[in-house]
Amino acid sequence: MKIVVCIKQVPATSDASIDPVTKRIVREGSKAMLNPFDLYAVEEAVRLREQAGGEVIALSMGPESAKNALVEALSMGADRAVLLSDRAFGGSDTWATSYALARAIDTLGGVDLVICGKQAVDGDTAQVGAGIAAKLDLLQAANVGKTEALDADGITVRRMHERGWDVVRLRFPALITVLKDINAPRVPTLRAARAARRAEIPVWHPADIGADPGRIGLRASPTQVVRTAPPAARSAVTTRIAGAPAEVAGELVRELLARKLL
Amino acid sequence: MKLTGEQDRQNSADVWVLAEMTGGALHPVSHELLGAARRLAADRGCRVWAVALGSDLSDAAASLIAHGADGVILVGDGRLQAFNDELECNVLERLVRKYRPEIFLGAATNRGRALIPRLASRLYAGLTADCTGLAIDPETGDLLQTRPAFGGNIMATIRSGGFRPQMATVRPKVMQALPGDRTRSGMVVRESVAPEDALHIKQILETIERRENTVNLSDARIIVAGGRAMKGPEGFALLESFAQRIGGALGASRAAVDSGWIAYPHQVGQTGQTVQADVYIACGISGQIQHLIGMQSCKTIVAIDIDDTTPMMQLADIAVKGDLFAVIPEVMKALDRAGVRRAPASTEADTEEEEQC
Amino acid sequence: MGEAVGPRSYHIEIIPPKQDSQKLEADLELFAGKFERVMESGFTASITDNAMGLLAFQGHECIEELGLRVRPEQVLIHLNTFHTKRNLDEILEACGRLGIRSLLAISGDGSPRLPRLQPADVEAEGAPAVTSVELIRYLRRHYPEFAVGAAFNPYEPEAHEFDKLERKLDAGASFLITQPILRKNAVVDRLLAAHPEVPTILEAWMSKKLYLLSDVVGYPIPEDAEYDPFATLEQLQATYPQCSFYLSLLGFKTQYARIEEMAGPARAEQEERL
Repeated sequence: MKIVVCIKQVPATSDASIDPVTKRIVREGSKAMLNPFDLYAVEEAVRLREQAGGEVIALSMGPESAKNALVEALSMGADRAVLLSDRAFGGSDTWATSYALARAIDTLGGVDLVICGKQAVDGDTAQVGAGIAAKLDLLQAANVGKTEALDADGITVRRMHERGWDVVRLRFPALITVLKDINAPRVPTLRAARAARRAEIPVWHPADIGADPGRIGLRASPTQVVRTAPPAARSAVTTRIAGAPAEVAGELVRELLARKLL
Repeated sequence: MKLTGEQDRQNSADVWVLAEMTGGALHPVSHELLGAARRLAADRGCRVWAVALGSDLSDAAASLIAHGADGVILVGDGRLQAFNDELECNVLERLVRKYRPEIFLGAATNRGRALIPRLASRLYAGLTADCTGLAIDPETGDLLQTRPAFGGNIMATIRSGGFRPQMATVRPKVMQALPGDRTRSGMVVRESVAPEDALHIKQILETIERRENTVNLSDARIIVAGGRAMKGPEGFALLESFAQRIGGALGASRAAVDSGWIAYPHQVGQTGQTVQADVYIACGISGQIQHLIGMQSCKTIVAIDIDDTTPMMQLADIAVKGDLFAVIPEVMKALDRAGVRRAPASTEADTEEEEQC
Repeated sequence: MGEAVGPRSYHIEIIPPKQDSQKLEADLELFAGKFERVMESGFTASITDNAMGLLAFQGHECIEELGLRVRPEQVLIHLNTFHTKRNLDEILEACGRLGIRSLLAISGDGSPRLPRLQPADVEAEGAPAVTSVELIRYLRRHYPEFAVGAAFNPYEPEAHEFDKLERKLDAGASFLITQPILRKNAVVDRLLAAHPEVPTILEAWMSKKLYLLSDVVGYPIPEDAEYDPFATLEQLQATYPQCSFYLSLLGFKTQYARIEEMAGPARAEQEERL
């Protein structure tokens, strides 16, 4: 079976701290990391291949440096990787991004299953997975917490929701987005990591995936950012309560009642 | 749909709200969306339509109209009982192409966050997720959508003026519902599932409703959350009774979840849930950035910890230094002494009350 | 004092290459160079396990992958609780295969990327979480061929740390390594008095950046604090002649030769006695 796992490189959370005045998280530095949810997507793809055979292809769109994310996927067991990178892709919103990824998946051909993380932690939109599924007419299941069964025709998964879960059967070709509790991603071995760093990662441009130039990049993106602003600052004042348990408890309750929070 | 000229623009009108049907019942977020839609419709001088898909919609129309819809489009079909992304998307795509709404609002619930991107992708429409602000640009008449990005680090204002419909999702409890007015009247249009809508869809084999899995962190007004310093499942049992006492939902840090003390649906943070409660009571959570990203938008943050140097104790509006295992039982006693009544734990109770009046 | 550790038998900390290294091959070459030099000097290579929660490769795989020769008495592998059960067993099997005989069991620093041993993995169902105590007991029970050491932190509340120490010893720890100490330390004195039979290795901080220890010692050390690693080490050796030393952040280019010199006479003495 042929599995594509779509991954994204995002700014590293480790480069963040709290501004003491606004009490807001401030990002600094330019370090990048693989989107945390994508680790589970890669791991699930590799596990399914270990179970059913076939190959796992890691796919990402981004600058040349996004190859690092693909190297990580290869280290974890993906068989090969493809990077979509071109100035023409720049500024793509979730619509244009899912269009490009869908074109690439179509170009790879014969794909049974696409796996994405639940969402990327920089944008938090959770739109690209469903966008790819829509464009390729794949059956989809978002927020998958467990793979129940896998065979040549399809996959049965547990889709989590607010009130429990659904067990759904997707005939291939299909797309799932996965949650954190679907698996425990492996830490790459040194041998795999060395091999991954030696691997050739082809870079595909719009022409390689037969992309309509009117459907990629900033100008083809339906959403445009008009402006960005910092969020409202939190109060810098912290009411500090310390003392014997009964005293601090009483004071806390008085404080909560005074603020009309209970 | 990409607009190619002024004619295209004028062909689209009205604000649509996709009603959120959870387990066959109307979710309160539907009313909140209608509240937002009414304000937008007032600025655009247009009507508000609610669209409801489900197997039993007998009560939905009246409730939607009472809370602000000028009309409702109902698609009642047994196949719409469980959430089937492809089927709902096919139906909605057909309806949107038929009626051409200018604005389309939906709930950022698990269903909305799966369905609406699929629909937007089909329609070639702009979609902004998890909006916290919606307004009409007085100059262009376009929808301006404000949302947090980078874990609440930036507020971005987004427009998709060159495309229709302009689509947005909103999380529960973000917008204000209007008081229900049963004297309002509205048009009811019935549509059905077309044969081609159901051609290529998934099979839903089973739906499991689990009380213990029902962690409505996104709906909760108060969240009591525990971290590593809760030391084990017993610590979380204590927090659970505390949360019940004040009508809060139970949250947890990743460290506690990974230690197996509490299930993943309770996890708050970057790889868990993002929450926006009125009160967040962090108990023994040191406050790693990944956790803070998930809860920094809560209105009031209370931290209880023996160590008052942690990031969480710095971020908090109220920081209580003390031994959690001594302080929390004392807080429950103090609540009794202060005469704070036991709050109903579930938001469903609120809904029922509201529906009755 | 125990036979396993004699005076001037240094433990040299070696940190394996990081998982996100952009120059992995060069880092591996450095690792190999350090490891081989430590073997030649007759010291012990003490190899960390995802130190500070930063993802790194495992010591055993670096040794195996690079085909490095292990002198059995001269390698100490750190092992923390942030592994899957499968991974833990793989590490232990590889260590056995490589002839490694000593482990340092620590709770360790987690990271979102690292799994965590669950109580059932180490047959500690009653425990709320796996700490070094549960890990030590599991290692002693299933891998008795390894000597297992434990950490001792003189900066923790003393009663609590001694209580934990007793549990670690009870679980089967046979030697101890402390957090870095900077001078004669009263808590360490009490440790040595309480357990003279347990070989204790004192960590000496070999970096000039003393402020990096702020979190360890629990009070802020200014960035410009003056610190002479060698003067400190010499003073500690004079104060604690019965202990051997664990050298953290040792500069191989700038400091290693001097450490070899310092070890020289003592080693010669030892050999004569033998």
